[in-house]
Amino acid sequence: MVDAARQPLIEVKTFTEVEKVEGFVGNFKVTLREKSKYVRADRCNGCGACTKACPIEVPNYFEMNLAPRKAAYVPMSQSVPLIYNIDMDACIHCYKCVEACGALEAIDFSMTDKIVEEEIGAIVVATGFSHFDPSVMSEYGYGRFPNVITSMEMERLNNSAGPTHGALVRPSDGKPPKNIAFINCVGSRDKRYNPSCSNFCCMYSIKNAILVKQMHPGTDVTIYYIDIRTPSKGYEEFYDRAREMGIKFVQGRPSEITEDSETHQLFITGEDITLGKVVEREFDMVMLNQAAIPQPDQNQMSSVLSVAQSPGGWFMEYHPKLRPMDSPTDGIFFAGACQGPKDIPASVAQGSAAAARASRILHSDEWHIEPTVAVVWPDRCVSAQDKSCGICSRACPYSAIDYTQGKAAEVITAKCHGCGACVGECPHDSITQLHYTDAEILAQIRTLLATEPEKKILALRCHWCSYGGADLAGTSHFEYSANERGIKVMCSARMDADFIYEAYRLGAGAVLFSGCHPQDCHYITGQVSGSKRANRLKTIFERMGMSPGRFRIEWISAAEGDKYARVINEMQATLDAIPPEALKEEIERLRPEMARKLTRLPNIPGVQQALDQTDEIIQLMTELHMEKV
Amino acid sequence: MSAPTDTNLLSERVKALPGGEFLMMCYSCGTCTSKCMIQPKLDPNYNPRRLIREAVFEMEAEAFADTTTWLCSACDLCYPACPQKIHISGVINAVKALAVEQGWKNPNPSAVVDIFTCVACGMCVEVCPYQAVSLVETKVAGRGLIPVATVDPGKCMACGMCSAACRSTSISLPTRHHDKEIIADLWAFLAEEAA
Repeated sequence: MVDAARQPLIEVKTFTEVEKVEGFVGNFKVTLREKSKYVRADRCNGCGACTKACPIEVPNYFEMNLAPRKAAYVPMSQSVPLIYNIDMDACIHCYKCVEACGALEAIDFSMTDKIVEEEIGAIVVATGFSHFDPSVMSEYGYGRFPNVITSMEMERLNNSAGPTHGALVRPSDGKPPKNIAFINCVGSRDKRYNPSCSNFCCMYSIKNAILVKQMHPGTDVTIYYIDIRTPSKGYEEFYDRAREMGIKFVQGRPSEITEDSETHQLFITGEDITLGKVVEREFDMVMLNQAAIPQPDQNQMSSVLSVAQSPGGWFMEYHPKLRPMDSPTDGIFFAGACQGPKDIPASVAQGSAAAARASRILHSDEWHIEPTVAVVWPDRCVSAQDKSCGICSRACPYSAIDYTQGKAAEVITAKCHGCGACVGECPHDSITQLHYTDAEILAQIRTLLATEPEKKILALRCHWCSYGGADLAGTSHFEYSANERGIKVMCSARMDADFIYEAYRLGAGAVLFSGCHPQDCHYITGQVSGSKRANRLKTIFERMGMSPGRFRIEWISAAEGDKYARVINEMQATLDAIPPEALKEEIERLRPEMARKLTRLPNIPGVQQALDQTDEIIQLMTELHMEKV
Repeated sequence: MSAPTDTNLLSERVKALPGGEFLMMCYSCGTCTSKCMIQPKLDPNYNPRRLIREAVFEMEAEAFADTTTWLCSACDLCYPACPQKIHISGVINAVKALAVEQGWKNPNPSAVVDIFTCVACGMCVEVCPYQAVSLVETKVAGRGLIPVATVDPGKCMACGMCSAACRSTSISLPTRHHDKEIIADLWAFLAEEAA
């Protein structure tokens, strides 16, 4: 940290909040609130005279509130930059610090927050994680029993710079504990609180146990665990070393801690699974290894940066395996636990990767983006005719569309990620997506439904999930009906209502509307637009009197090849259950209604031409087919 | 999933019954067993975690013979403690129902009815927490075909609620906790106290 601060090209801004992020890759405009420290950075020399003079003491957050700090303080002795800070919530304005500071005149009570705007090329988010508060789990008595502590409190107690100068003592009586228990998975792997594994706690509790054993060899240390997870290099050896040192491992999650109210001794009741017996053991002190959870303001940060969150609240990466350090927004990268709980080696690796990714942007004059961006036809946009609309701008998950009434909507190409939500939503067909134009997709639909359309199942799949699911069904050899015909678009948000109307007008037997599960969407809220539209269509088709099951909505992930195959087979079964005459009659009955929905279709640029060409191709194909027969 | 599952498997049958849905989610942490009042106080062989394992591994005979299957009173102390939100007593009840279906008998004593004195008032039916008692038309010597209280031994947990509620002392537990024995104990105790 000190090295980083000394680097002339690195500017460290502490006590600063990000208020707003605008712009796009290479051209971000970031608004920062530099909170006032009431100490002038250009004058403070870090002598600490103000702290000595300050008469106010408040709990020290850095020491997990185990020790006090003054109202004039630095959070920790290694703070970078070493500039003192006055806690205005605690200060009584006695001005003793001003006197103590003397001729340096670094303390300035008239300071206010400063709003600064910076031009930024790339952003690396490294906001870290927070800890689960175990006091909500009444069975472990944290907060009620003084000798039940958290892992962070243990960390401070065991630290030579900590409140006890490294002496490990019981909070109830200040005596060194003879035997300590560590309980793992407190609030993690627990569906009542956080269902996921916190990744590093197994190693963390072993580390703490070894530290305790090294500093106080006489101490008896027991670790309660559900499973010990030591998957990385050297980790299992570390676990071995802990057992060699005499640390006891008990498999079994304790159900309860009770306390002797006079001696504050603790009793852990838990099934020792290997013994198959419930055993109650007595301890002087118990450490709870709390779950890692997202920062409390993670949601706020996520909306400031416009990056999505995964289930559980962590920031969502572009791709979990191939691009774990990239956010879905170009130019924003993740390092460390803000993207998901990780240990130090993984955080360092991701941080270095993110820095390398960011430097690619800083060193290039041009930036390549996905070619599937949206383009507006200004002459068709109703906003240009001074009508109020803005639907595209509201649909865009990346706020990449500038909409002002009276002017045609404008796509900021560098911000566009090519989901096609705006294209799918635009009621006037005034916007299109390169490589997924209406003309191209309609031509595909026509060709796929050229012969015997009533027997076909047209499957609209999104690129990231359901297309992957279909692919997996194929590579895994999950058999599904050969009557399925697939069309890929980037996101379910692009699946225009027109495509589905056109498919039914052409006489398609069934249509599948498929995409990612809502929490997996690669375009933040793309699936939400798609899902809303699909449900609207479902109601419309129900009202038209379409047989149930001919239009189906399914969210299928790339890992659910079996589900894809099952859905298609079920659709085939539904189709088979309708007598052919009844199906034909239904298609004919609905055809005019579908056609009525599509009156504007031929006016979309390129569509008529594409359809004419498709007709020619179909004609040729049919002739060839007939010749063969 | 795409591969058809064998619905004859014990685990599948347990999952199909209400309460047994999340059977496969158990990662064997042992919280239920250590939360349970029975193992430390009554029967060291009692272990809900082991019963779940037996159901998961289709060990049908072991599961049906397991003391856990028959002793659980569904107090649900373990349910809120389970980190996987498995309704453990629901699983145990499902296993028990399957055992009874296959003709297994509750090895523990269940309440017995004196059909000669039962007046079919229905108090025992009202108070039974396990819905184990019902009024059934029975042929009783000297009384004809009349409704009398009948205990389903597959459901009875021998708690004695019915016995306490019965106004004609016609229903009671067979061993040790029979009304007569309790009253005799009481008298003996009072006599001791008096002396």
